[in-house]
Order: sequence, then C-alpha cells, then structure tokens
Amino acid sequence: MAPSEIDAPTYTETTWFCCGTAWGPCGGTGRGACGTCNSGSLQCAWPNTSDNCFAITRPDRCGDTAIRRTCGHTFYITSRCNSNRVTVRIADCGPQTDLWCGERTCCSNGLCATNRLMDLTPAAFSRIGSLSAGKLPVRVSSEGF
Amino acid sequence: MNGSPLDRRRFLNTAVLGTATAVVGATALGSVAPEAAFAANRPDGVGGGDLSAPDPNFAEGRITGITGSMLMVAGSDRTLHRIRLTAATSVWKLRPTTLDQAKVGDGLYARGVRMGDGTLAADAVWLNIVNLVVHISSIGRDVIHFDHHGDRVVGHVIAGTTAAVYNDTPAVNDLSLLKVGGHAQVIGAWRPDTNEVDIATVYAAA
Repeated sequence: MAPSEIDAPTYTETTWFCCGTAWGPCGGTGRGACGTCNSGSLQCAWPNTSDNCFAITRPDRCGDTAIRRTCGHTFYITSRCNSNRVTVRIADCGPQTDLWCGERTCCSNGLCATNRLMDLTPAAFSRIGSLSAGKLPVRVSSEGF
Repeated sequence: MNGSPLDRRRFLNTAVLGTATAVVGATALGSVAPEAAFAANRPDGVGGGDLSAPDPNFAEGRITGITGSMLMVAGSDRTLHRIRLTAATSVWKLRPTTLDQAKVGDGLYARGVRMGDGTLAADAVWLNIVNLVVHISSIGRDVIHFDHHGDRVVGHVIAGTTAAVYNDTPAVNDLSLLKVGGHAQVIGAWRPDTNEVDIATVYAAA
C-alpha cells in the first residue's frame, strides 16, 4: 500500500518542544516551519509536512511512513497512559525521527509506543502529561478521538 | 470531579487558599508529584476553538514577583499572568518540590484553569524546565557539554538526581554509556540567564 493511502490511527512516542517567543535556551527557536508556532498554543510538529521536511526527519529509516500532512492539519492525540486528550494543529516540521529509531516508551499500565513521529508544544503536551516526563506513548488520529 | 471545565473551575475556586489575609500555599501542605497531577482524565477542552491562539489555561514566561502563593509572570509575548498555586498544585524544579523554591527570574510553564478574575489557578507549575535535543560535545566528571543547534550548553550532573535512560530501559544513575558525538534528549532545569542547565534526565541510545 502506498504511504499516501495509509491514514489509520498510529501509536507513537511524543515529546515536546518550544517555539515562538520564549525564555532560556528556547529563546532563539523562532516560529517553526509554518511560521505560526507558539509554545502556548495547542500545536504540534509532524515529520512529513513537505519534501524538505521529510528529507530531514526520515521516518522511513525507522520503518514508519508518516503520511504527508501540511501546516494546519488537525491531529487528535490521546495519551496511552491516562487517556487524556488534546487536539492540535501542525505548526512545524519534526521531530527528527531517524535519530531515535527503535526507541520505545511505556506507561506504568504496560502500554507502549515505538519511534518518534509527534512533537507537541508545551501547552499541548501538558494537557495529557507532565512536561517533566519528557516523552509519552500516544495514539494519533486524523479522524477524531 | 473533573467532568467539565465548569466543574473544575468550581473545584479550584474552593481549593484556592491564598488570599490577602490568609496565605496557605503548596509549601505548607505539600505538593503532589507531576505524574499524580495528571492521573485523572480531563476534558480535551478544544471544542472547535482557534488552535493557533494561546491556550487560556496555560501560561509561560518569567517570574517577576511572588506574593504569598501568587506568582506574577511576564510572558515572553509580554502578556502578564497571575498564577495562583493551591494545595493541589504540583511544582517541579529539577525534581518535584514546593513553592518556596520559586524565585524571581525563574522561567516557567504552568497549566491550570483560568478563573473569572483572570488568574490562572495552577494544577502544575514547571520552573526553568527545558527539553533539549542535543549532541554530546564532551563529558567530564560532573559536567557534560552539549551542542544545541550550534549553541554550547553546559549540563551539570546532580548527584542523587541526574538519571539516564538508555533506549527503553528504566532510569539509572550510571552515565557511563553516554557517548561523545552521540545525540541525546535532556530534561533539565535552566540556570536563569546562563547557558547552563542542571540535568534531571538524559535520554540516549546505549
């Protein structure tokens, strides 16, 4: 099946990143590939927003297709640890999936996810988990929760 | 308890303890670990709103003043926030801690519920927290130098706190598997107005 035909919910790791005006080491990060990214908004980065983006993130090297979704696309994210949910829109390219091929994150309930296909702003990540956790296994869907 | 934003706002109205005459903050009653603060299922609260707009129930910025259990915060976008901590607020600063560790100048992220008076009643506050994807430039006894998008960041290893997670293994104190030239993700606490962080957890491939 061609990657463009795959649109089923995906289980993946997510972490968080800062963008827009910010303090500390985040200060120079800018507004992301879409020009709209803001740490305080419910947004995300996705590793296949364009050919140039895909060439950097290379989820295919981890065996993930990560279909093309562009700026503004809506994803519905559910934590596998506590079922908390958040709706986000793409505002940046990322994460760099191929740096973390095979990495797995599990919850105390035993549910896990492998590989990083999703990056959330602090506002979005903190809706479903603690920022100090660093990463979480989640369900990602384009069709709703 | 958390069935709707309105229910939660009512709960927090009763939970808020800081007033001009009687201030009892998280310090006095103890804070809960961040993970516990997220144990309960909560509404996604995004009923078709503008997802590009700032989330009203979230705040970021730097502390400009502390009055009892109220943090005055200047947002990086120049928004001014008043963040109220309650007995139920979890506070993180390198590790789970209490409000008394908050200092003027600290950066923060806070999540809670925006109250009718404009304050944010906080469920959780993360002080100086950073999440950096870096390359390891050098490793010393108590310090690790990182390259973060071309900027040098000094990471301090804090005995008894700093932990490493290699692939999906449990966190350990042993940092010996970190490799110069390798990449890592660092959760840590920024030392304000420096390029230095105290390392809480470093994620790396073994």
